[in-house]
Amino acid sequence: MPDWRQEIRDRLARLRLNPAHEADIVEEMSQHLDDHYEELRSRGMDEPAARAAALDELRESDVLARELRSVARAATANMTLGQPSRGRPFEAVWHDVRYALRTFRSHPTFGIVAVLTFALGIGACTMIFSAVHGVIQRPLAYPDPSQLVTFWGTAPEKGLPEVDSPLGLYAEYRERTRTLSSVAAYDTRGATLTGSGDPERLDGAMVSLDFFKVFATRTMLGRPFVRGEDAENAAPTVVLSHSLWQRMFAGDSSIVGRSIALNSRPTTVVGVMPPGFDFPDRAQLWTPLYVDANNFNCWCYELVGRMKPGISAPDVAREIMTIVDEFGLRRRDVFPDAKRGGARIVAMPLSDRIVGDLQRPLLVLLGAVGLVLLIACANIANLVLVRAASRHQEIAVRCCLGAGPKRIAAQLLTESLLLALAGAVAGLVLAFWGAHLLRQLPVDRFPRMNEVRLDPIVLLFTAAVAVATGLLCGIAPALRVWRVDLQDAIKSGARGSSTAHTRRWSDGFVVTQFALSLVLLVGAGLLLRSYQHLSKIDLGYRPENVLVGRISLPYPKYDTSTMVRAFYNPLLERLAAIPGVSHAALATLVPLARGNPQNNILAEGQVLRPGDPVLVANVRIVSPGYFSAIGTPLLEGRVFRESDDERNPRVGVVDEALAKHFWPGESALGKRVRYNASDTSWITIVGVVRNVKHNSLDEKPDLQLYESFGRLATWNNYMIIRSTSGPEMLASRVRAEIKSLDPTLPFYDVHTMPEAVRASLGIRRLMNTLLGGFALTALILAAIGIYGVISLSVTGRVREFGIRLALGAQTADVRALVLRHGIVLAAVGVAIGIAGALYLTRFLQRLLFGVAPFDWPTFLAVAVILAATALLASYLPARRATRADPVSALRSE
Amino acid sequence: MWHSHIWGGMIEREMKKGSAELLTLALIEHQPRHGYELCKLIDSRSKGVLRFHVASLYPLLYRMEKRDLIEGRWVEKAGQRRRRYYRITAEGKRILSSHRRSWKEFMAAINRVAGVQNA
Repeated sequence: MPDWRQEIRDRLARLRLNPAHEADIVEEMSQHLDDHYEELRSRGMDEPAARAAALDELRESDVLARELRSVARAATANMTLGQPSRGRPFEAVWHDVRYALRTFRSHPTFGIVAVLTFALGIGACTMIFSAVHGVIQRPLAYPDPSQLVTFWGTAPEKGLPEVDSPLGLYAEYRERTRTLSSVAAYDTRGATLTGSGDPERLDGAMVSLDFFKVFATRTMLGRPFVRGEDAENAAPTVVLSHSLWQRMFAGDSSIVGRSIALNSRPTTVVGVMPPGFDFPDRAQLWTPLYVDANNFNCWCYELVGRMKPGISAPDVAREIMTIVDEFGLRRRDVFPDAKRGGARIVAMPLSDRIVGDLQRPLLVLLGAVGLVLLIACANIANLVLVRAASRHQEIAVRCCLGAGPKRIAAQLLTESLLLALAGAVAGLVLAFWGAHLLRQLPVDRFPRMNEVRLDPIVLLFTAAVAVATGLLCGIAPALRVWRVDLQDAIKSGARGSSTAHTRRWSDGFVVTQFALSLVLLVGAGLLLRSYQHLSKIDLGYRPENVLVGRISLPYPKYDTSTMVRAFYNPLLERLAAIPGVSHAALATLVPLARGNPQNNILAEGQVLRPGDPVLVANVRIVSPGYFSAIGTPLLEGRVFRESDDERNPRVGVVDEALAKHFWPGESALGKRVRYNASDTSWITIVGVVRNVKHNSLDEKPDLQLYESFGRLATWNNYMIIRSTSGPEMLASRVRAEIKSLDPTLPFYDVHTMPEAVRASLGIRRLMNTLLGGFALTALILAAIGIYGVISLSVTGRVREFGIRLALGAQTADVRALVLRHGIVLAAVGVAIGIAGALYLTRFLQRLLFGVAPFDWPTFLAVAVILAATALLASYLPARRATRADPVSALRSE
Repeated sequence: MWHSHIWGGMIEREMKKGSAELLTLALIEHQPRHGYELCKLIDSRSKGVLRFHVASLYPLLYRMEKRDLIEGRWVEKAGQRRRRYYRITAEGKRILSSHRRSWKEFMAAINRVAGVQNA
């Protein structure tokens, strides 16, 4: 008798089985081969042939080893023949993937609908996440950006949420701070570059010596400013941005040390910053700021500092408050009302400050797009569920034939994961395109939006969302596998396409969809109504047909107010003479432009008790034609005249809000105001004009005082040109007129007032467009969802409807029965949605204007829209139900 | 109905797997048997249509044992080598009856579709 043991051991060697276990297996199998060998010998087979035949039993040695390995490893496994082993998980996955792909090929419609729905949901989600990531989360492109902090004073009781710093205080902070390793002051200050073609106005900033040190950024060429260059009468120097250096000087590295003409003065270039450095506000050049420690005139300097390690923004705020308090008590001449604990300072990370108002809208959009994704998931889950129900019998057959429920559940999950991943790939295309559109948004209104990219973190997010949604959508059908009743499933035949259990899940999904859709629609509705309110708001001026642009007269080329007027007055005459121009005027600032010069205002006879806040008003200096040019109506008295100059009494025009504040119930005309108690020059009010929205459309009316340009000449002004039509055509004519007076002056920041109004609503428009789009998508998905569910329900009940009709039910009864199902689902969803919306709309409150978060007309309208959608989507299946033929329905059994 | 063009490969494997289990359980339903005996019985009763190799039979038996469908025990008889006999467990009986029912329904369904009467 041959000894088979070694043959068998050789085949088991790779398995490294427990010796006792292996001995048992070897004994049992060798016995089997002995029996087989003996039987063959007894039939007359010769020894070598019988031995070969017996060994043939082991010929699939790989199979033996593989099958035994799976048994050896699966302690309590529910393994069966033909199932890929645990030792080779990738084979199982690969098998499921191939199988799923075959399935999709045979049912392409299902695959396409699911992938498109996923693409829409995941794509929108990725797009908004890329914006949130790019704008809010991604660190600023400076070394250790989290250490950068900015701070300012606040005096809400005076209506001053933000007060910048005078240079005197900056010098004090720089001297005494222990929380900041460096601190810098800066003021955005453009400059006019001449000498190469047309004069060009460049954005820039005057910065204190520490400025580049705060950002820990070195110059790429040359050096930063050195002590002495920031002295009062130092020779002008400048540091250029990389983009300006490339654009205007063709990247010429010999630029350092050369002189260029800035503001008509020769200025030495000392350095060039590396690419990407453009703080503040896309600055193209930086000039040194003379820091006079005794200067408290202009509270107009912004501050930025670098915190020492371990210091937070609140620590900085506390320290700065202490410094201000102590300074105030020491310097009564600057802070006459100073008291301990009186200073209030706000400090925040620079990145938060830069993003500003964009943060909340982006987070709201991310929430909204998350809801859209959930609605899309509910839709796909329903599709997968319905499809799994139609495959009930197939699954049952597989179970009968030995496939375990885990195996089938894994297969179903693989299918929905594959759909989600395919959707994510398509969604990335959508997001790529969306991010491209977002980057086109004007960066002054949408800070950092130009940095939005689909970077590795965004891609990781997309992958995570795809996996999560894939699992979410596949989980319901996968769980059902354990509930499959094999007998029922096989017996039920075609009829078994939907079970009560499936229908319950489907109904649940539809209710969820309607609830989420309601939240989205209410949010979109509230924002839309806010936008409508804002669009109809009285601006206090008429923006249509108004062109504005800026002129800055360089000092000391224009060194007296006489020279300034000698330039502007003839210019205004020439502009007014251009055909089509009805009015031309100038002002230090126009509505919705950046900046807001303000001053204390004291009315004659006003008694200020200690602790009373001094009122602060916006101050604008305007030429006589300003109110006609901008279109602000005069309510009382008169506007400025040419004669309101230095030779005549100082007069002012105020808005209704200021007049009402100081002289409620009486006329402001003839009353007098001044800027501070020591001022000997009173301003007599000669006119009252309508309140104007100066900074934004949703602000409360600011108090406003206008003074006459005839009396107070200003170097930098906006020109306001009202035309009879098409103001944008006038820009070149205006430029030509300016050039004829002084060819070195650029006319810059040119725009029409309607453009400014539109731009000021930019974030709201973006919110409306995106949120409106998401809400519409949600509505469509919900409609498809309810249609699918009612349709499925009708298919499952076609026999019942047939019998009802056969027994005499009216078609209207059957239709009502089906419609009722749809309406009940929608109603439950709407009720849950209203509860959710009542909670969630509070997050919108700060974005709303003229509507309350619980605006019942919006809620009602949305509920009606959803009910109508449900009714419409249920109607088609309901009509099908009324056509059920009892005979054919029964025959189908 | 199942879509054979989709399910083809998978069903073939599962059918084998399910049927092997069914056959094994059925053969030890009333008396314990050892592996070689099972092999012979399947061969003879199926008139040579169904055959098991050592390489697939024993892994199947061990797996069914792990799932508590069968129980294997070494039995020594006088003058003979010890042999490992397999007997059916309560769980095995339950699965056997479920398999039988399913197969019956399944065959009936096949017959209905294939148009074979009274199979």
